[in-house]
Amino acid sequence: MTGTEGCDRYMSSKFEPKIHVFFCVNALDRGVFSTQDPEKAARIQSVKMPCSSMIKDIFMLKAFECGADGVMVVGCPAGRCKRVDGNIRAAKRVAWVQKLLDEIGLGGKRLVYTASSDTDAAITLLLKGLAELGPNPVKPAAQASPR
Amino acid sequence: MIVAKQKPIAEIKEMLRPYQKVLILGCGTCVKTCFAGGEDEAATLGAALRLAFGQESKSIETEELTVERQCEDAFIQEAAQAVARNEAVLSLACGAGVQAMARRFAKSVLLPGVNTTFIGVLEKPGLFTEECSGCGDCDLDTFGGICPVTRCSKRLMNGPCGGSKNGKCEVSPDIDCAWQLIIDRLTALGLQGNLKRYIPAKDWRPSLAGGPRRLLREDHVI
Amino acid sequence: MKSDGASKLKSVLAGGGFAVTAECGPPRGANAEIIHRKGEWLKSCVDAVNVTDNQTAVVRMSSLAACLHLLELGIEPVMQMVTRDRNRIALQSDIIGAYSLGIRNMLCLSGDHQSLGSQPEASNVFDIDSVNLVHAVRVMRDEGKDMSGFALNGAPEMFIGAAENPFADPLSYRVVRLAKKIAAGVDFIQTQCVYDLPRFREWMRMAREEGLTEKVYILAGITPLKSAKMAQFMATKVAGMDVPEAVIKRMAGVTGPKAVEEGLKIAIETIAELRAIPGVRGIHIMAIEAEERVPDLVKAAGLMPRPMK
Repeated sequence: MTGTEGCDRYMSSKFEPKIHVFFCVNALDRGVFSTQDPEKAARIQSVKMPCSSMIKDIFMLKAFECGADGVMVVGCPAGRCKRVDGNIRAAKRVAWVQKLLDEIGLGGKRLVYTASSDTDAAITLLLKGLAELGPNPVKPAAQASPR
Repeated sequence: MIVAKQKPIAEIKEMLRPYQKVLILGCGTCVKTCFAGGEDEAATLGAALRLAFGQESKSIETEELTVERQCEDAFIQEAAQAVARNEAVLSLACGAGVQAMARRFAKSVLLPGVNTTFIGVLEKPGLFTEECSGCGDCDLDTFGGICPVTRCSKRLMNGPCGGSKNGKCEVSPDIDCAWQLIIDRLTALGLQGNLKRYIPAKDWRPSLAGGPRRLLREDHVI
Repeated sequence: MKSDGASKLKSVLAGGGFAVTAECGPPRGANAEIIHRKGEWLKSCVDAVNVTDNQTAVVRMSSLAACLHLLELGIEPVMQMVTRDRNRIALQSDIIGAYSLGIRNMLCLSGDHQSLGSQPEASNVFDIDSVNLVHAVRVMRDEGKDMSGFALNGAPEMFIGAAENPFADPLSYRVVRLAKKIAAGVDFIQTQCVYDLPRFREWMRMAREEGLTEKVYILAGITPLKSAKMAQFMATKVAGMDVPEAVIKRMAGVTGPKAVEEGLKIAIETIAELRAIPGVRGIHIMAIEAEERVPDLVKAAGLMPRPMK
């Protein structure tokens, strides 16, 4: 993951966003998000999936319930999904949940979908959105434990 | 199948505001198929509501459960304990399901989580279209299997109005002119005679116009 | 104010005359002066005046009331009725009432869908369709019975009209539908505005082949264009309207008052062409908020004085 330098540009000293990344194993190498420098890696929690299309609305919302400030879903570049249209489905599902997040008031900008070829721009965009929105406002008391 | 659409979160939130413990009850048949109120939608809605209320420091406990069909008492029964331990039930079933629940659980608050929209079919993945109005007196034989009561915006029974253009309805370019479809199909079937026949004013008594309907099967009543 | 005899429009047509009717849109309010003013413009140049029934699904003074205002001026009205807003009970009741007040002609329509009008949130009725309405009026008149079969104490002897749109699709079915309306009991037809003469001729040819022009009086619709913008609007935004590219181009070649002149010229030429088509028994002018221009048009088209043989 090279795009994390974007963090420095958008983060205040107080707010270090927690980001959950759901990624397709065909799109990124295993553990790519945890091999960065320890300080940054600590803010990123990644979940690998056999295909980005395995992402469900509830997974993304659960991540926010568990305290994530932002969520990123990483799929394969256009035309390179092993399951033909898994990445298209993932992108559409993310767009749907972005609308839902706007409706809830959390803000759709807390969530991004990106192809693995474009993660730098995506994380920059996500961090910019999070800088605008601030930390996840849902109080820990209301946050569920992972089920 | 019955097609429904989940209500906006803001509307659901206002309905739930007076309650602390809410059962979100999905229905595993029609509304599941149209992505409005099955197991997945119940889970997603639960999380969405917790997040929504969490921002205003109102705590809400939700429990999610999905039964096979909320329009049938045998399946409703499975929800009895969950209903009893919550203050209100947000039903994601169609209007029939919500009312069947209300009938069964006389002392529970029943709230609708979806807007029931129509009887339709899955035309292609993600697209549902209205096909039947349940008018109670089916004439699809006359119209080549295409229903003018439902699919003609003006319910015309004797041919297209003057607004039909290029096979589309005057109401919207997204709507096929039902009469264009009827004419094409009857022509293809060699049944043009049907097109010339005068169709008298429809008897609406078997429809909702005649008051709420009931169906009694004596042979199933013990 | 009451007209005692039968429909004058009917007698003009039955007598072999070339009929001229015009449309008059009632006001969006209770100001009857508007209907009086329009009536005065139309009085001497047409045989009868159609009063629209909440046209384009916009609330206006009721057709029945506006018809009475015209009757007071000595003008014969054609009451338009749409099935969109009233069920069969209300429709029959209004027909009986209208006849009792002296209205002798009516035009049976389904009506523009309310979603295109000013109150799209309204529910519609569409209990019966326009062909059913024609049939109902015919049975009321000829058999003296309402739709339930009840023998009426006084039958409404209406001259029954309906609309046809030769430009809507599918063309092949348009004549079948016309035949259906005739079988249901229609006496006269007023068509959608004619700009596409070749298609209109084709439709008339098909109607003649089926022997329909012998059974019904066909009045061809005329709407003078005011500008290229209006032509464009009619071509793209008005349901069931067909304005050929050539007509739009011709209107685009002129501007301002000249465009109005050009529109009138096109209308006059079209009327001349229409008169030459066997089976066309008259014209129906829908001036759309420009009723004051109707007398000039009728005069220039050589159709004065009224009625003419």
